Amino acid sequence: MTEPKNLVTVFDKLNDLKTLFRFGEKIVPIIQSLVEFMKEIIPLLENINTSIADSTNKMPLASNQINDVTNATELATTQILDLVDDISNALASIESALVVEKNKQVHVDELVEIVGKALPSDKDIQEKFVELVGLTRDRQTFENTIQLVEAIREDTYKITLALQVQDITAQQLAAVNHLINSVHNRLTLLVNDIESSDLQAELSGGFDVPPNTHFDPNASYTKNQGKQDEVDALVRENNLSKH
Amino acid sequence: MNLRFLVVDDSVTMRRIVINSLKNLGYTDYVEAADGRDALGKLAANPNINFIITDWNMPSFSGLELTKAIRSDATLSGLPILMVTTRGVKEDIIEALQARVSDYIVKPFTPQILKEKIETLLAKLG
Repeated sequence: MTEPKNLVTVFDKLNDLKTLFRFGEKIVPIIQSLVEFMKEIIPLLENINTSIADSTNKMPLASNQINDVTNATELATTQILDLVDDISNALASIESALVVEKNKQVHVDELVEIVGKALPSDKDIQEKFVELVGLTRDRQTFENTIQLVEAIREDTYKITLALQVQDITAQQLAAVNHLINSVHNRLTLLVNDIESSDLQAELSGGFDVPPNTHFDPNASYTKNQGKQDEVDALVRENNLSKH
Repeated sequence: MNLRFLVVDDSVTMRRIVINSLKNLGYTDYVEAADGRDALGKLAANPNINFIITDWNMPSFSGLELTKAIRSDATLSGLPILMVTTRGVKEDIIEALQARVSDYIVKPFTPQILKEKIETLLAKLG
């Protein structure tokens, strides 16, 4: 009685095997497709890895170029400020000369009065004298020159103030540099992770970027008085709460 | 009153612009510092400094840290501190006020606002 029972068990197992083989027949093409897919995808992943490594390697260069731009604009701004200082000094000299001229004019007026009284009553001489006085008393041109000097001085000061844009853009560029550094660090970690697998790519070393205490990432060059008004309101509020 | 200003900014350009503005307002006595730490050194070396104009974002020692250091020093705590910075976010301004800056200007500043702030603070000094 035990032999038939064992045979039944053997047939059951054979049926299981048959099912397994049938499943295998179905699964083998899928596995083959998967292998084919992997064969195709690995070079693609290697390409992606190489691209990431290339991009990562280029980041320090981009960062250096940003630093170069900042340094160049700072140098140019300094040169402009030097020129503005030269102009201001020249204006100061012109102003001093104008003051001297103004004082001379007072003396000339005194002399004109004395000479005018002493002149003979000859009409022709009197007319020439009036003409001469008119030439020496070109007050309008004198006043215009003073106003022009003041206007130039005002403009040079406006140029100076407008150069605040250099500091603000330098902070914006520093913020971009910081961002590049952060992305670079993340990608370096990613590439290093891939390197520890079979996928490999050459990666250069890191680079130094100033810490983020140097800049305000929200720095902007705007002549909006509203911002300062908001600040003033906060300052007033703070002062009131203190008292 | 003979006023001596301490102008603190890591940007050479900004220092020159602030100093130029001070000269335009008739204030010709000034000392420069490139960051907060440098500023503390200048304060120690120049006890007659009586007005500070400082940036916030600077390497090694910020304007905010400088303000806190000055306010915690009994000999310096009474000095007026005018913060001139690009930081215009409300939270930043509140933080600066909590650190006890005397007043606050957002860059880019105008000569009128600088004049007004300096004169107001000087009037408070008496």
